[in-house]
Amino acid sequence: MSSVMQNNTYVSPKGPWAKLFLALFGVGILYGSYRIYQNATAFTVGLDYFSEDFQTYWMTLLYIQLPVLFGSGAAIVGWIWHTRDRHLDKLAPAEELRRYFVVLAQIMAFAVIAYLTASPFTEADAAWHQVTVRDTDFTPTHIVLFYFAIPMFIISGVVAFAYARTRLPQFANRLSLPFAVVVAGPIMIMPNLGLNEWGHTFFYAEELFAAPIHWGFVLLGWATFAAGGLVVQILTRVVELTKVVSVSEGAESSRAVAVGVSV
Amino acid sequence: MKAIDNPASVSAGQHGLSSAIEQRKAYVQVDLLVIPLIVLLFMGIFSFHFALLVGDWDYWVDWRDRRWWPLVTPLALSVLPGVFGFLLWDKLRLPLGGTLTILCLTLAAWISRYLNFHIFADFPMNFVWPSTYIGLGLILDCMLLLTRSFFWTGLFGGFAFGLLIYPLNWSMLAPFQVPLELNGTMLTVADLMGYEYIRTAIPEYVRIIEESTLRTFGSAVTPLTAVFAGFLNILNYWFWLWIGYLGAKALWIRKIV
Repeated sequence: MSSVMQNNTYVSPKGPWAKLFLALFGVGILYGSYRIYQNATAFTVGLDYFSEDFQTYWMTLLYIQLPVLFGSGAAIVGWIWHTRDRHLDKLAPAEELRRYFVVLAQIMAFAVIAYLTASPFTEADAAWHQVTVRDTDFTPTHIVLFYFAIPMFIISGVVAFAYARTRLPQFANRLSLPFAVVVAGPIMIMPNLGLNEWGHTFFYAEELFAAPIHWGFVLLGWATFAAGGLVVQILTRVVELTKVVSVSEGAESSRAVAVGVSV
Repeated sequence: MKAIDNPASVSAGQHGLSSAIEQRKAYVQVDLLVIPLIVLLFMGIFSFHFALLVGDWDYWVDWRDRRWWPLVTPLALSVLPGVFGFLLWDKLRLPLGGTLTILCLTLAAWISRYLNFHIFADFPMNFVWPSTYIGLGLILDCMLLLTRSFFWTGLFGGFAFGLLIYPLNWSMLAPFQVPLELNGTMLTVADLMGYEYIRTAIPEYVRIIEESTLRTFGSAVTPLTAVFAGFLNILNYWFWLWIGYLGAKALWIRKIV
């Protein structure tokens, strides 16, 4: 790119802050509500799968949340695909930079959900299994963790990936291996759940959280180690898009170039 | 899969930001999005990884024995400082990998321990408090800053990282190691708390610790374990640095299969 071009410049776009805070507020309300519900009912009507109360208070929740999450995820990804940019070759850099801020905001929402899922809700299951003995695969902590929180984790990752694939030229033309790995990890946690539950039917009294039966989850969690490559890919392009190409603030500003990341 | 080059460049139309001020504004936007994102990811990933590999040792004060806890904990604890330490130092020249990731783990651990183990499962906080590891991250990062070498950081920092877990926690752990007698049997305060708070993980664990001839070394068990942990952790840190190197590669492919 030429560093001396005139009259072909733009001002910096803003991140989608209002939408991001609204989304995070929604996530907070949703996860907070689940947590309050868990505290209120897990030790009262959540101890015996075969009781009528468990079916009413917990299995009903499971039967509602699964289709709602699957439908919502499919609808959002379908909408992203349907409204995809069909003229990416004509995309202006200012708009491209704005879209990078959008995808970063989506990854931020992914990170919030990842934290809530992987820490407080995963360890709620750890604490639960130390004081109760599981009678089936469906416990108050499993219903929230495996059938609400992890699907939310998957949806948030797939949405960010789909947005990048349909709206950002470098992600549309090729496949970002780090991005694919980061999104594939949470997706593969669901099949790995089969191994976990199968194992627990044999090692019934064995509730060590560090037990080998759980190491499949660890391996899939390590998929997020590829986030470093994704950060490099995104920042490399952002650096290109934020180069200063005209002199409007004096000679010094004309020499300002982006060096935020070495590539 | 076939990796390809990145031919991307700014194309037609507008070509760049109009001034350094606009550039700074853009960078502020990036910082505001990327920094919390990274902190939250570290909190989630580290907490998940640590819980499922060595969580039990950190959850319960009676699990912090002198044979396994100081040995397995540094092996799991130095993974993220290695992986993301490489990214932060090699790409951004920030010697923060150890301190930042362990600080994130500590924050996540305290939130979870309070909400889950204390409020939800009703254990007292002085039975489920998380160990402290931040000092280990500081040592690792200071070593990297001083030597500017992953090799020396692994050799000295990695060794110290494994060696110092027990002494770093000793002042907090000591009150729980005070011996007492119960019905003619000597046990520690931590053991007694463990017997009072029955957990599903108890029986297996009580049977497997403090076995074999290492017990004949008496009080030398802890330093022996610490030195062995330090040795293993040198190799462990180097290995995870290499994983960090692979993870930081900006690879593009045409298709998966």
